[in-house]
Amino acid sequence: MRHRKTLYLFIIPALLVIGVFFVYPIILTFNMSFTRFQGIGKATQVGLKNYDRIFSRDRYLEAAWVTVFYTVIVVTAMNLSGLFFAAILHRLPMIRNFSRAALYTPSMISFVVVAYVWQFLYSPLNGGINVALTKLGLGAFTQNWLGDPNIAIFSVAFTQVWMFTGFTCAIYLAGFAGIPEEIGEAGRLEGASSWQRFRYLELPLLGPAITVAVMLTTIGTLKTFELPYILTKGGPDGATRMLSIEIINNLFGQYKFGFASALSILMLILVLFVAFIQNRVLRDRENTQ
Amino acid sequence: MNKTLVAAAAILVGIGGSAQAMTDLDVVAWKGNVAQPAGLPELIKRFEEQNPDIKVDLSYVSRKDVDKVVPPRLQSGNPPDVTMVDASLVALWGGAGFLSDLGEDHDWYKKMLPSVKKVMTLDGKVLAYPLEIVGMGNFVNMDLLKKAGIDKAPVTIDELKTACTALADKGISPMIFSGGFSAMLYVGANGINPKGPSPAEFGNGDLKFADDPNYNAALDSVRDLVAAKCFDPKLQAALDPWATAPQAFRSGTVAMLPHGAWNISDFAKVDGLNFEFAPMPSSFSKDGLALDLVGPGWAIPKDAAHAEAARKWIEFFAKPENLNVFLSVENAYSPYSGDATPPPKFSGPYTAARKAGDSILWPFSNEEFPKQLQSEWENSLTGFLLNLDKPNKDTLDRWDESVEDNL
Repeated sequence: MRHRKTLYLFIIPALLVIGVFFVYPIILTFNMSFTRFQGIGKATQVGLKNYDRIFSRDRYLEAAWVTVFYTVIVVTAMNLSGLFFAAILHRLPMIRNFSRAALYTPSMISFVVVAYVWQFLYSPLNGGINVALTKLGLGAFTQNWLGDPNIAIFSVAFTQVWMFTGFTCAIYLAGFAGIPEEIGEAGRLEGASSWQRFRYLELPLLGPAITVAVMLTTIGTLKTFELPYILTKGGPDGATRMLSIEIINNLFGQYKFGFASALSILMLILVLFVAFIQNRVLRDRENTQ
Repeated sequence: MNKTLVAAAAILVGIGGSAQAMTDLDVVAWKGNVAQPAGLPELIKRFEEQNPDIKVDLSYVSRKDVDKVVPPRLQSGNPPDVTMVDASLVALWGGAGFLSDLGEDHDWYKKMLPSVKKVMTLDGKVLAYPLEIVGMGNFVNMDLLKKAGIDKAPVTIDELKTACTALADKGISPMIFSGGFSAMLYVGANGINPKGPSPAEFGNGDLKFADDPNYNAALDSVRDLVAAKCFDPKLQAALDPWATAPQAFRSGTVAMLPHGAWNISDFAKVDGLNFEFAPMPSSFSKDGLALDLVGPGWAIPKDAAHAEAARKWIEFFAKPENLNVFLSVENAYSPYSGDATPPPKFSGPYTAARKAGDSILWPFSNEEFPKQLQSEWENSLTGFLLNLDKPNKDTLDRWDESVEDNL
């Protein structure tokens, strides 16, 4: 019994770090969300006014919707592409290590660098993508990639998927490595095709890898800031304006620390809600399989 | 041996004494780095020669980072001795009592333009020494214009439309018109009537943008520009105004770019780019309308450790021969009357409009319009360019809503 109590002592440093650097700032932010504060000077209590403004203006609800929509696109595409490459590389051991490193490389580049490079590629005035399409005789497919509100969010999402497909691929490859060889062998002896082995043997056994990959990419994407901020600044006309961009604009563009705190609290609730539901669904799925 | 020891001791005492007398002046500014030197390296050298007991320690902090770097120092009582400020920081830091009153007993204060005085003072206290007024107008590639048979930069709406049609007919791209910045300048130049109500009345909600005939006409005028083939609104609406747009003008493929005079130095470096900086074509003037932006200034924080040296720094800039170095590199105008300041290069038409009195102070630079409204202008004008068919009211209501949010 005393031994168990001693063990609890060892988690005190971790609890202190979490308390000081995570819980306390959240409490401060929560308190600040009921104030009008410009980041300097005195804060004035305004009650629920900040929250009232958020819910009475379409733009903030639209920002929340854009955040969720963007997350759905990115998480789906990133996990499908990662799983696709992992399934192929699992079957091609000769090129697996090289390809894994190559796919992973973009995620090691800074967001800022990636965003600026893609901004030039997407540019409607002599941008790389439109020029390439024109030279290939596909001029009809040229687009205003970041300027058309119907396309911009997909263009930004594509950049993020390009960047992090290697990351999800690495997680799924680790999942494939954990599947016993004998199962694949048995499938082959039974005459299962490659697709059937993937669908009925490997995919169910990849449950834990799917849970980890989907959870990590969801939380990371909900917090996305750099790519849309540099590529479009949240534009055109709010088409890629996510909650994170609204928060930064209110904080440092307009010195509305109280209002930005209210937005941050709502974003925290959104992330926690999505993560909780997702975790529950994925764990249930793992257990049933 | 004894003599050597005495000499060494004397040297050490001397060094100690001079080190004690030396003042390190801690200056924070968003100009003065390699990309935007603003003449500060030369001016610092000159200042140190004239004040051998002061060493200037200039820290470059970008404008965006100033919001994060300086407030903690102000609040902890460890501020820089001198910091660069703009109108919004004068209001924010000055309003919270963190800036010193520089006093009215200075020649420079007496010479300061009244419109700038309003920005740099708060509750009767002079909180900043303004450095410059920067022009915003229309960059015109004169060679491309000549190819279309025009030899003068357009300054009226009719001249602009004629130029656009002529350029487009020659296969030359007439104009960059990004929703983020260029459109804002054009709409401002045609919505803010210099002889009409003060922009402050719109900024504090007394008047509504949606009810104002000038702002409605300004949006209609944008549609006219599209009809005159000035630009493709859908293509240019979301163009990055800070990187892609100036780059397009630099490349010499576009004839006009509404932007700020801070680009002059950069464009001047391009071989063969024959350009002029003109006022914005406006329906309110036959000479065009110069959009003056109140630039940054110097302020001394309340708890500055070396306030005396900081005042010397400001007095140094107040001498026209020193301020002119700054203005010349910045291609800016002096915020003081009576100084013999040479006009910025390549800015003949813009300077002429100012001299004719056809200029306004850009209301986003003097706090007449709230800061938040600027991003709403940028976003809503982008949306407007993407769908010119929607009623003006949709766009103008958003501006009024943004003002209301700020009250």
